[in-house]
Amino acid sequence: MAPVLEVEGLKKKYGSLEALKGVSFKVEEGEIFGLIGPNGAGKTTTLRIISTLLTPTDGRVTFLGFDLKKNPEKFREKISYLPEEAGAYRNMKGIDYLEFMAKFYAADDSEAKKYVERAVAISGLGERLKDKAGTYSKGMTRKLLLARALMTKPALAILDEPTSGLDVINSLEVREMIKGFTKEGVSVLLSSHNMLEVEFLSDRVALIDRGLILDSGTPQALKEKYQASNLEIVFRRAVQ
Amino acid sequence: MKKFSHLLIKEIKELINKQLVISLVFILVIFNFIGNVTRTEIKKAMAKQKIAVLDQDQSEISRNIIGALNMANFIIEEKTGEKENVVQEIRNSNLDLLVVIPQGFGQLASSFQPAEVETYSFLRGVSIAGRSKSEVVKALLNSTNEYLSNQYLKKKIPDADPKLLKAPIKNREFVVVRDRQAEGSSGLVIGSLTAQGFILPIILLYIVIWSTQMVITAIAMEKQNKTLETLLTVPISRGSIVAAKMLSAGLVGLLAAGIYMVGFRNFFSISNIDVSNALGGATPILKQLGLTINTQGYILFGVSLFLTILFALALATILGVLAEDYRTAQSLTMPIVFLVLVPYFISLFADINTMSLPAKILVLAIPFSHPFFAMQNIMFGHMNMLWLGIAYNFLFVAVMLWWTTRIFATDRVLTMKLKWRKKKVVL
Repeated sequence: MAPVLEVEGLKKKYGSLEALKGVSFKVEEGEIFGLIGPNGAGKTTTLRIISTLLTPTDGRVTFLGFDLKKNPEKFREKISYLPEEAGAYRNMKGIDYLEFMAKFYAADDSEAKKYVERAVAISGLGERLKDKAGTYSKGMTRKLLLARALMTKPALAILDEPTSGLDVINSLEVREMIKGFTKEGVSVLLSSHNMLEVEFLSDRVALIDRGLILDSGTPQALKEKYQASNLEIVFRRAVQ
Repeated sequence: MKKFSHLLIKEIKELINKQLVISLVFILVIFNFIGNVTRTEIKKAMAKQKIAVLDQDQSEISRNIIGALNMANFIIEEKTGEKENVVQEIRNSNLDLLVVIPQGFGQLASSFQPAEVETYSFLRGVSIAGRSKSEVVKALLNSTNEYLSNQYLKKKIPDADPKLLKAPIKNREFVVVRDRQAEGSSGLVIGSLTAQGFILPIILLYIVIWSTQMVITAIAMEKQNKTLETLLTVPISRGSIVAAKMLSAGLVGLLAAGIYMVGFRNFFSISNIDVSNALGGATPILKQLGLTINTQGYILFGVSLFLTILFALALATILGVLAEDYRTAQSLTMPIVFLVLVPYFISLFADINTMSLPAKILVLAIPFSHPFFAMQNIMFGHMNMLWLGIAYNFLFVAVMLWWTTRIFATDRVLTMKLKWRKKKVVL
């Protein structure tokens, strides 16, 4: 089966700073693919390029057969991006925010309604969705945004540090939400500097450092290869 | 189109927030309040007002003066006794004007000797009514002087017309504008044009300032609330995002400016400035001189205004991208406000055509200047200047819109930042 997403030799320069030096990986249908690495490794830049926010300096990104440079609008139709530091419109009620976002993806009102109903179920925010997003806690906002990202059943959900800044309980709930959703055929590309989280969530992972993929594979295969008990040790040994 | 209108509605809803509604209502209330206070003062000034008169002369002329004061809408409260006592009495009352006609006034006046009338104004504040009373009394005394001097001249030179003796040269004034001329004073024409041109720059000023403030704020709020990245990844073109931001800001800016004008109208209506006339009406002399705007003129003015608003919105959009938060956005509106204020004040107090060439070039280099002078150019037939202004603004708008769309279509929408420290990149 052809991969949903194929990244080949991706490079990105900010002036003289080379943020990505040739990143390559593939995401298969229905899998959770984790990009792990420390802060400044190039995770966010990679995800921003795939989600059409940034243009690559070099390299190729293919999604469902479409080339990123030629068809960015096709990417936007089928992907869903959750930035690390994202928010919702503060003056909008949670439910209105979901409806607002759903209408960009839906062909008609009934489809948009279905998306919103799905998002309501995913978020688990219940009656609080009738309150303005400005009144939400960080955890509630993250759940709302994650529900927004998953409600359309995108071919690829790109989640940048999905549990960033959340407490233990909220992090666990968000992880369960992500894990549960791939059962419906959604592929997930996520990044995190929390390697234990990625190990729990991902089918396959890529280790990224200073703009380069050091290694990739299933968490189990990588642990065996580096004779490590967890991905944190795998990463340390891969860097060495 | 459906997605665009969906986004446009959201943008408008975001802009018409509680703060905006409160500030606009506040403006309306304030203007109404000021209007009502001034209206009451003017009514007071126009109503019959009480003044005190101490006639120590009791001559025919002094009685005539009191009669004339009565005719001039005053209620006369006649006083008797010593002047000092009367002044003291009025000081403790609510009367604020005393006219004293001293003994011997009539005799001196009728024998054409210098005669004096004393007026005492009791200031208890600065009100229109208080000021108008002394002005009316002054005007009455001037008429009395005119009457007495005419009597004197008639007595000395019985065959001559006193008015002709006092002003032997008459001036018939004509005003010429291009191939038309009309009888009247240039002061009257300029006064009428100034009155007409008074409102338009204010409308322009408010539309531009409000619209730019709206669009800068809209983009800065997207950044501050961290919603911009998500919005840029939804399936809608970047051009539509920019257009929705600009159009919503333009519409809400127009609405806000309109509400301002309603407030102004309440204020101006009591200041004897007819707003409807000021927005396009004309006095007969202006019509005779062709200093009126026809449909074509209004269309050209509309084009000039539209291009300027587009330029302002595009410039504001770029500045909005530079702003990282609402506070920075507010400070970024300052350069635009300054660039609008320069032509605004020049259009109010100076004639662009009589300015020195370097100053003229400097002012006309500001794209905001052109609609401020467009009406004048249309009325005085400076059509080349008008067309050049339109072409100049069209060029600027094209460049700015291209630049704005480029910024939104590339990384710059996320990486452009106004900061004084070394550039920092998020990897």
